[in-house]
Amino acid sequence: AGRSVTRFFFFFGTTGFNFRLHRPLEITTMGSVLAASSPNPLPPASGGVAAAPGLTAPPGFGMPPVSSVIPPDGAASEQEAENSLSNPGAFDECHRKCKEVFPMQMEGVRLVVNKGLSNHFQVNHTVLLSTTGDSTYRFGSTYVGTKQMGPGEFFPVMVGDMDNSGSLNAQIIHQVASRIRSKLAFQTQLNKFVNWQGDAEIKGEDYTATITLGNPDVLVGSGILIAHYLQSITPAMALGGELVYHSRPGEEGSVMSLVGRYTGSNYIATLTVGSAGAHASYYHRANEQLQLGVELEASSRMQDTSVSFGYQLDVPKANLLFKGSLDSNWVVGATLEKKLLPLPLSLVLCTFLNHRKNKFQCGFGVTIG
Amino acid sequence: MGSVLAASSPSPAPAAAGGSPGVSGLGSVPPGFTMPSVSSVPATSDQQTADADSPLPNPGTYEECHRKCKEVYPLQMDGVRLVVNKGLSNHFQVCHTVTLSTLGDSGYRFGSTYVGSKQNGPAESFPVMVGDMDNTGSLNAQIIHQLTSAVRSKIAIQTQQHKFVNWQCDMEWRGENFTSAVTLGNPDVLVGSGILVSHYLQSITPALAMGGELVYHRRPGEEGAVTSLLGRYTGDNFIATLTLGGAGAHATYYHKANDQLQIGVEFEANTRMQETTASFGYQLDVPKANLLFKGTVDSNWMVGATLEKKLLPLPLTLALGAFLNHRKNKFQCGFGVTIG
Repeated sequence: AGRSVTRFFFFFGTTGFNFRLHRPLEITTMGSVLAASSPNPLPPASGGVAAAPGLTAPPGFGMPPVSSVIPPDGAASEQEAENSLSNPGAFDECHRKCKEVFPMQMEGVRLVVNKGLSNHFQVNHTVLLSTTGDSTYRFGSTYVGTKQMGPGEFFPVMVGDMDNSGSLNAQIIHQVASRIRSKLAFQTQLNKFVNWQGDAEIKGEDYTATITLGNPDVLVGSGILIAHYLQSITPAMALGGELVYHSRPGEEGSVMSLVGRYTGSNYIATLTVGSAGAHASYYHRANEQLQLGVELEASSRMQDTSVSFGYQLDVPKANLLFKGSLDSNWVVGATLEKKLLPLPLSLVLCTFLNHRKNKFQCGFGVTIG
Repeated sequence: MGSVLAASSPSPAPAAAGGSPGVSGLGSVPPGFTMPSVSSVPATSDQQTADADSPLPNPGTYEECHRKCKEVYPLQMDGVRLVVNKGLSNHFQVCHTVTLSTLGDSGYRFGSTYVGSKQNGPAESFPVMVGDMDNTGSLNAQIIHQLTSAVRSKIAIQTQQHKFVNWQCDMEWRGENFTSAVTLGNPDVLVGSGILVSHYLQSITPALAMGGELVYHRRPGEEGAVTSLLGRYTGDNFIATLTLGGAGAHATYYHKANDQLQIGVEFEANTRMQETTASFGYQLDVPKANLLFKGTVDSNWMVGATLEKKLLPLPLTLALGAFLNHRKNKFQCGFGVTIG
């Protein structure tokens, strides 16, 4: 409960784990998720970790979007006249828009200092004083290369951060060819490697295919292989599938799931159905200030379902961002973020109240830079 | 006002006489509303009102001696607190407090203050009736009245849900250069128990005041008395106070460095618990930025700070607090919003 965990997208499979996200991808903390210490073979974080978006870029600093969001209308116009279907985006991005509306749970006091050292290099320091767990200091750095792929995309991107206990997260993302992007990610817990994976993503004109190899261990003979495919059927509809194959000495298995996404004028509806459950999300943009998200998750392994409703109120005139959420587990939470101009300071207040367990959690944070 | 179980502690603690100014905790005063100072700080204005042939000023009350130093320290905050103050008229004010706590219980507290029309001074009107009740039914009530020009009386009652835990009555007599007070706490005629506290504070010179306290407690089969002496020296920009008694020593030093910075140092020695504590606190007041920052460092390896900011033009105040106990490796944080 209040630990910072990276957004690892674990697919429905024999694992059936769906980690509640405590930190958004925007913050470059990879967390200390003991992915390999759990008894079940968990699919590693493929493509779901976007290194760059959370770091505030100093002016003149192009930060690459690691996984591109659903392409706006502008992208469609860039396509050739005879091909009206646009690239559907990455497989993991399908539920992203809805999840971004929800507030993230935070407890204790957090101080973040972002410092851009040059057009290519940025560091950040994070001090977290926690009321329940351990207090930590985390140092992160980002390097962005010079190979330009688009208006805001530069490669290679190297992101790393280290904890005060020595836990390291590292990612290298590079555009190998004009359509192929590759990523290597490592994660250690203290001195032990818990996550190492490599993936390659091919973005075609109207499809995206990704293959990920997670925690391959030649000596033991174990590993996880994940394949994604997402195809634009119509300009509004995209369908795709996922195949997860895991192997351990004496055991092997595979899980399949299908995903369908429909994009309307101001809404996105996504459905993921697999052997381990279903995940449906609906994102609605009411106006420039208000965005809503509704999410339903059903896990056949845990035999439980949960519904959550979240909304985001953006008041740029007051430099205010308010996110609220309501859950079927009787959890109510809210986050208030305010930019304290003219200082490059941002204040975040967060409270979560679990009525069923009668637990209350609050925290605040200051971000400088 | 808190729910201080003063009478439930086994040692006969001096009842919370005058030490809890009823009105000071109820937040900001709406315009045109005079809030009485229940216990006045020894101000230099007293010297001006003294008679020409008696240059010694009234020394203030006994409980106020350590007050200036204690006000510099930040309050420990936990969880979220929302306070709404509403002035209904020149005489009546109510306040609602919602506390969401991470450690203890969450609760709602309703408080009201009534100020009478008998004017005693520029900002003092009597009688003053302060009461508040929380969601479990615990009540705190105080009635303060100026009986004559020099005698002020107070009755205070405190209940824990339906049980009375504190009931006391006191009388304070302000002379030209002395203050004396008598407090009768938790008198119980049926059982034959009670606490009697008497204070006396005398101005020796315009800067030096000395006094004493006698606490007599009685229970069936047991009675005892504790005395302590107090000395206070007021300089240009500092106040040094020392209390020596049978139960220990308490020394405070308050220093006003400039308009923005105030410093307090406190030393407490308890012979009963056989322990001593020293703490250092400072208060930084930046009225231009509507900011008030209080910090403290303790000999118990405790560090804490509170930041209070008025969010004008709204009548809103945001308070952030964090306390870190290095020895026990415990961290506590909280924030609160005050409206009105």
